[in-house]
Amino acid sequence: MKNKIFILIILLMLLLLIFGLIPNNPLFSANWALISFLFLGVVIFSFFASFELRHPSAKEISLIATMAALAAVARVPFAILPGVQPTTFLVMITGWVFGIQTGFVVGALAALSSNIFLGQGPWTPWQMFCWGMSGVSAALLGGRNKAFDLLSFTILATAWGYIFGWLMNIWHWVGYIYPLNWKTFMATYIASFPFDTLHALGNLVFSLAFGTTFYHVLWRFKRKISVIPLNHNKD
Amino acid sequence: MYAYKEQDKLFQSLCCEVSLSYIAALVFLSLFFSHPLYLLALFFALNLVILSAGIVRQWLTYLKFSLTLIFLIILVNALFVRAGATVLLYGVSVPLIGNIRITLEALCYGAGMGLRLLVMLGSFCLLTYAVHPDLILKTLGGGWSKIMLALGISLRLFPLITDDFVRITEAQRCRGVDFKVRNLRQRLEKYVPVLHTVLLSSLERSFQLAESLHSRGYGTTKRTNCREVLWRPRDYLVIVTVLLGSAYGMALVLTGRNGYGYYPKLQPFKEQEIIIAVCLALFFCFPALLDWGWEKWRFLRSKI
Repeated sequence: MKNKIFILIILLMLLLLIFGLIPNNPLFSANWALISFLFLGVVIFSFFASFELRHPSAKEISLIATMAALAAVARVPFAILPGVQPTTFLVMITGWVFGIQTGFVVGALAALSSNIFLGQGPWTPWQMFCWGMSGVSAALLGGRNKAFDLLSFTILATAWGYIFGWLMNIWHWVGYIYPLNWKTFMATYIASFPFDTLHALGNLVFSLAFGTTFYHVLWRFKRKISVIPLNHNKD
Repeated sequence: MYAYKEQDKLFQSLCCEVSLSYIAALVFLSLFFSHPLYLLALFFALNLVILSAGIVRQWLTYLKFSLTLIFLIILVNALFVRAGATVLLYGVSVPLIGNIRITLEALCYGAGMGLRLLVMLGSFCLLTYAVHPDLILKTLGGGWSKIMLALGISLRLFPLITDDFVRITEAQRCRGVDFKVRNLRQRLEKYVPVLHTVLLSSLERSFQLAESLHSRGYGTTKRTNCREVLWRPRDYLVIVTVLLGSAYGMALVLTGRNGYGYYPKLQPFKEQEIIIAVCLALFFCFPALLDWGWEKWRFLRSKI
């Protein structure tokens, strides 16, 4: 079933790409910003749908809500400093400890809920995607390591400072720049470089300052909620 | 705590489905259109609706923020695009860019795309400040119950975690911890135990929350929900104009009239295009016109 859904999503994305490239259909005349929006929609939808279908327990729901709220709250005092976002660190450490799906959902919900206070914009789906994927990547790395490896985590978190900015630049580049060529691509990315560096530095500092402590707290909590199960849902 | 503030305005009183449809229609049409006149029409209509919704101050904050983005868009287009025929400025050779050649067409394209960004930002400004977040959660919560439940809880936890942070910082301050120390590293070190405690208390709360959810029957049976939505005449009036405006916009897209030739030379505006733009503006400024009547005539207010 899961494989079928996965194949369906890939097919859907390929169809979107084909419609964007073949003339004489409405999506061809639409710009790549719309197509990228639809792409993001499919990715976020598939993660959310798989979360819904898994029937998460009450403990998972409340854990995700808490971590998303924490990541969202951490964002607000730093909103005046462009680029510095503790949210990335919090989402990644959650993903490392609790796995791919929790990592993605916490990232996506942190973006959505913090923007309810800070202001929604065309960047919201992109932030949902970027923070979600940062959680996923940390979960993948965490799955490969038996114990917490601060060095690997810090390197990944620092790299996500740039990856986050590069992914966010896509909506700006495809939506508002013409022609879409190598030069305009480079120019857009150079313009964001200082902000991405600030984000990366922020992640580096947060990882070094809080990485090990937060990992131990979350790991202990994970063991606690695994040892005392409330029940498994059947709905 | 929310950015949204309750006001006695027509847009705020609309049914959530209608407000969301209006915003979604504007966002998608702005992505489909590249014709500056149509984007200008949408922008004009949106401004009237923002004005009628009483969120001008918040919109100005968005505008201030968007100026940097628009400047970047125009700058990149002006410096890197060589497709235009009307050269305004020749300049020296710059690495990566080559010879600077700024054209009128590239500037206009940048301005057009800036307009598209403004329409999108305006729509999201309406979403943030003129539609109640709880109503959005309720509206979208039917099919996404777990996600929406998690989002709803996280929004409720937002002020609690902020209070926790303030309380713990105060407690530390009473114990003689100086959070205003100049050295950034020392200051960060002083915040480590605070954030550690915030995390611990939040996780403890999440466990209690889970117990509370469980004791209220979460997950024991299939989730049921009942939601009564009151559709008033104003909702029907606005949704009809939104649907008509969207259908009109999509007809333009399907007939290939949503685009505009910026390059190699700016194509002159035709009379028909101006009429189309006026029609689009009329469709999408309807909530503002209705609000004006709503404020002015008590009779109309009582009827819709």
